[in-house]
Amino acid sequence: MGYAAARGGIDAIVAAEELVRRKRDEGSSPKLEVGQLIERLGLAVDRVVGEGGLWAPELAAFALRQTEGDVIEAVHLLRAYRSTLPRLAHGLVVEMAELEILRRIVPAYRTPPGPQLLGRTLDYVGRILDTGGSSKARPGTPSVGAEPAVATGERTDVPRLYAESVTNRPKQSNGAPLERHPGRLLNVLASMDLLVDHPRDDDPEPFDITAQPVRPGLPRSAILSVMARAETGALVNLWYRNVLGPDGYIHEVTLGEVRHGRVPVRVLHPHTERPVTIGTVRVTEVEAIEDLNGPDEQRDRFDVGYGLCFGHNERKAIAMANLDIAVRRDQGATMLEQSVIMTTDGLDASGFLEHLKLPHYVTFRSMVDRKRAVRAASPVNGRARTGSPQPGPAPAAGPVAGSTAGGDCADAQPAGSPVLPLGATE
Amino acid sequence: MRLGRERRCELLAASAPGRLVALADRCLEDGSVSLDLRSGPAVGTVALEVREPVLGQRFILGDVLVTSAEVEWRGKRGWATLLGRDRAAALAAAICDAELEAGGPLSAEVEGLCADTEAALRAAAREEESELAETVVRFEELL
Repeated sequence: MGYAAARGGIDAIVAAEELVRRKRDEGSSPKLEVGQLIERLGLAVDRVVGEGGLWAPELAAFALRQTEGDVIEAVHLLRAYRSTLPRLAHGLVVEMAELEILRRIVPAYRTPPGPQLLGRTLDYVGRILDTGGSSKARPGTPSVGAEPAVATGERTDVPRLYAESVTNRPKQSNGAPLERHPGRLLNVLASMDLLVDHPRDDDPEPFDITAQPVRPGLPRSAILSVMARAETGALVNLWYRNVLGPDGYIHEVTLGEVRHGRVPVRVLHPHTERPVTIGTVRVTEVEAIEDLNGPDEQRDRFDVGYGLCFGHNERKAIAMANLDIAVRRDQGATMLEQSVIMTTDGLDASGFLEHLKLPHYVTFRSMVDRKRAVRAASPVNGRARTGSPQPGPAPAAGPVAGSTAGGDCADAQPAGSPVLPLGATE
Repeated sequence: MRLGRERRCELLAASAPGRLVALADRCLEDGSVSLDLRSGPAVGTVALEVREPVLGQRFILGDVLVTSAEVEWRGKRGWATLLGRDRAAALAAAICDAELEAGGPLSAEVEGLCADTEAALRAAAREEESELAETVVRFEELL
């Protein structure tokens, strides 16, 4: 597929950009500080981080502000920025038992190893619009427009690792220490001999989707990476289609672990070659338990799908976990793997969609030419072949699709010729 | 307190940027020593690889934004890599690392900064745990 470029319009483009900038940066309300976005719109920031594939909350907040809250555009900015950066190191492998939980629920099992920890959630409260009357600002909370405590996502007077979570919170006392690295339901099921065994004696290098093209037939490591930075809505839609849609995959869905927490980022010290934890990042992790019921499956056991993404985005991780096991069970029988790989990247999809707004004058003109050629070759003016078998009055003659397309058609005419209506023969 | 090299780097990477830069500036006030930038400070990424627990397979979750710097100061190499995009803090952490490695005159203050950071991290962790503990739940089953 090729596209003919257009040129010109620079003055109008600059003026349009200036309109955006002025309204965004010079509106009547105080300018939105990045720290406010990180603190108060953290889930949106997390979504940009996750779909951007780059843990950089501060930059994600900048991107959200620049794009006026357009998540996909913000992801575009973040990915573009990331593409300019060198990869300085490959982190040491994180074992997911290292995840320090901030929230952990096990919907499938009441008494898993370790606590069921609600953490920060609104899952159990009514969806009631708060127009500001019930907001409880703490004493000392900066008012809108005041310099926020977090100016750029990181306070300079507190350690980096906890800069985003340290605020003026009231002190609480507590009894027993909280288990922050609980065991998994997975292991409970395994101990009950209820899990499909997946013996492996290899440990293949993971596929790097930022360095190699993504095409169907990839190893699972690539599919997991693709889903980890996929567009949230695309994953949810694909999951929903599989569960309830026309594809015939209706099956029981039960979640094992749903976790939000921190994992360490470790690199080797260049001098001692021993591990150094340079910080932590937050992730959401989900295990989805699958009730196997296929004729060739072990119907007396469960299998488990896995989801993991940057930030706090349970919707995405749940969809990912269910699609992981769905792809594995499908084994290439349908287009599911291809759909996951080729259609869930937000940047791919929106990039293709957005480009449709660019001038396609030449493309469309060639389509008009083809229609005319078909019509010219048709013995009955072409109408019998175009899905309109009923004889009837000819469409009213006039410019094609209004004045704009008429202008395109005018481009196709010899200089000085009148615009020919579509119904006319040349 | 005598920290291991790696733990020192971890604590410097986690230290408040403002304090790091101020301390490094004080180190640099010693005009008899020249600072040699060996690399950076450079903004880049670290690939974050995880091993998922279901099949035990590794995959790349994504990249993490970091800033890294390496210096030579008082005849010793100092190194730092920290999360985010902060060249000044990374350079300062590398200088502080070298100052302590070389046993420079501000070594005790670098150790003090590390100790303060460690204490602040512990306090923040305690506070966080205290808050989270209130949300532990045991739902009842309706039979």
